[in-house]
Amino acid sequence: MSRHLLGIRHLDREDIEELLGLSKDFKKKVLEGRPIANGKAPVVGLLFFEGSTRTRVSFEQAATYLGYRVSNFASGASSMSKGETLKDTILTLRYERLEALVMRHRSSGSASFAARYFGGPVLNAGDGQHEHPTQALGDALTILERKGSLEGLTVAIVGDVAHSRVARSNAWLLSKMGADVRFVGPRTLIPGNVSMLPGTVYYDLAAGVDGADVVICLRLQRERMEDGQLSSVNEYRRLYQINRHTLRYANPGCLVMHPGPLNRGVEVDDMAADGDASAISQQIENGIFVRMAALYWAFQDPPAKPAKASAKAAVQTGKARRKKS
Amino acid sequence: MKTVLKNGRILDPSQDIDLIGSLVIEHDQVVEYGKKVDERGAVEVYDCTNLWITPGLVDPHVHLREPGEEHRETIVSGTQSAAAGGFTTICCMPNTNPALDTPSLIDFIMDKAASPEAGGVFVAPVGALTVGNDGTRLTDLAALKKAGIVAASDEEHPIQDSAVMTRAMETCLQFDIPIMAHCDDTSLSAGASMNEGAYSAMLGLKGMPRSAEEIMVMRNCLLSLHTGCQLHIMRVSTWGAVEMIRQAKYLGAPVTCEICPHHFSLTEEAIGEFNPLFKTTPPLRTSLDVDMLIEGLRDGTIDCIASDHSPYANYEVQVPFEEAPFGMVGLESVVGVTLTNLTHKGVLSPLETIRKLSSAPAQILRLEAGSLKPGETPVAQVCVIDPEVTWQFDVTKTFSKGKNSPFQGMPLKGKVVLTICGNEIYRDARFDARRLAGVG
Repeated sequence: MSRHLLGIRHLDREDIEELLGLSKDFKKKVLEGRPIANGKAPVVGLLFFEGSTRTRVSFEQAATYLGYRVSNFASGASSMSKGETLKDTILTLRYERLEALVMRHRSSGSASFAARYFGGPVLNAGDGQHEHPTQALGDALTILERKGSLEGLTVAIVGDVAHSRVARSNAWLLSKMGADVRFVGPRTLIPGNVSMLPGTVYYDLAAGVDGADVVICLRLQRERMEDGQLSSVNEYRRLYQINRHTLRYANPGCLVMHPGPLNRGVEVDDMAADGDASAISQQIENGIFVRMAALYWAFQDPPAKPAKASAKAAVQTGKARRKKS
Repeated sequence: MKTVLKNGRILDPSQDIDLIGSLVIEHDQVVEYGKKVDERGAVEVYDCTNLWITPGLVDPHVHLREPGEEHRETIVSGTQSAAAGGFTTICCMPNTNPALDTPSLIDFIMDKAASPEAGGVFVAPVGALTVGNDGTRLTDLAALKKAGIVAASDEEHPIQDSAVMTRAMETCLQFDIPIMAHCDDTSLSAGASMNEGAYSAMLGLKGMPRSAEEIMVMRNCLLSLHTGCQLHIMRVSTWGAVEMIRQAKYLGAPVTCEICPHHFSLTEEAIGEFNPLFKTTPPLRTSLDVDMLIEGLRDGTIDCIASDHSPYANYEVQVPFEEAPFGMVGLESVVGVTLTNLTHKGVLSPLETIRKLSSAPAQILRLEAGSLKPGETPVAQVCVIDPEVTWQFDVTKTFSKGKNSPFQGMPLKGKVVLTICGNEIYRDARFDARRLAGVG
């Protein structure tokens, strides 16, 4: 038995606590130079169909610390470029006896698709605009370290929420752990109906950041301008950039986070990205430890739980709240 | 040979008949029906107690995929599937490869459909409205009409340019060809894979806004009103679209519309964890839409039911949701799903159910079908339905090559047990026991 990590939406609070607990243990061991390998050395396939440096390196580092072996597939070199279907690629990797699969793919839902055909655990390293669970776990570990707890915090997720898998995973995780989540951004980049997502919508940055303990900036993709979803970079900068002026509305000591890669001077300025309040470098480092936890966790048997539709239950925690501002 | 279907509930919406009686077929024709019929000389007599005897069903919207996409369906397999679904007349869509945009392709369809290995149903082709469905150059509509098309459509590539659509309507009015329109403003729906709303936001999928459908429904209704061209709107899915069609009818526009069983039976929630079997266009909407669509069926705004039978090969569907094609098979589940979700729930009476499945689409497209009246159709077109039998839909046992059904495994109440189109073209094993011994 094993388990998949397809999204935070599918987890309950106990799963998240277990993963964060494991992450802390692994971090301690790595920083103290203590041995981690537990005799098993499964082979983990890294299948990245979308460009990624940090996430792939982070998973490689995590596997190395765990003593797992890694097999890398880049989409350009794989048989997918010869016309093979994703299903056949997944089945091939299954019969190549890979024991776990870490996958990134441009298509929302591709991780659950892979899990349908790959025998062992599948870890979602980003599926389209759906979820990026290990990013959210790394962000949560960082907030925990800096703030001591997630419970009761106010977290503003600022920017292109509609197209962001990081926003979705973070919103699920933080809300399940008792934080108050806000989505802040222009109307064109916030889904029109957030009743199935756990967060309150703010279209005005000052109101959205007001009283926040954490601000998570999202990367602004250039194609949003080409699609006409934003008039200009300047307009966005003026209205939604996180900088020392806009941070004045937040609580003292408000953390500034960003999943990277940064558009410096667009969604976040130098002062905010590099100042004392910034947790960006810590997020990157913690990414390794949560991925260790995820890889380890995926190979463990799930604990016996009372039968319930956990995905359904989780979905229903999303509340319809929308604030005009 | 003389066949008697005895003691059934005869439902003929073309004559508003709903009576318990018997129906006699002789020399491929319905010769009489009523409470008392002449059974002398009958070779086959079947006890149809508690069964419905209806006109052969008519499906105005089927994708037979041939020519060009025979890995999905062929005219042979598609017509066999239609026969098993109770249909005796189906309209096939022109978005094949090549598109049905020349008379020779219409001849090809008709020849194939009439071949002995085919399912024995009448196939009424719908011709392409523009060359290659390109949305700009009109086809030779008069020649296509002469070759046998019953309507014209650009199907999944709806004409975006209103000037082109106006010219298409003027031309079709001149040659008396109804236009069947899939209504979608593609500038709003491009790249989207499900209904825009709470679920698309949660799943991170680009959504098709309801306005993409409604804008085109409204535009096409207005053009129909102003040109006078007969317009049949395909597969309505939103409450707004139904409301606009209601208004267009009120204004006197020659507009009709159809609905697919999945749109009145399922909502976007059914997609669950990205199940591509539930991906269709227009997409599955919300429970509010389903309620209002059912109201539209009840009050007659929605004229008929169409399967939008859209078969695909398994490998085309077994892909991530966003990459999956739109559409689902339907011919063999229409009756079960419709009876389960409409008739048995009291939305439609048995007669109205059969009207929306036979005489209404036949009248809209002026087909020689959808009636039990002797001499009304070229040969007897009859369907026998067991409305009370409960069964589990199993797509692996269907005649269609496509197995992409959202109703797989679903318990249904109501099933076709016999289809006659001149000859008997489908019989369910359940019907065998109905044969009365000692007669003939």
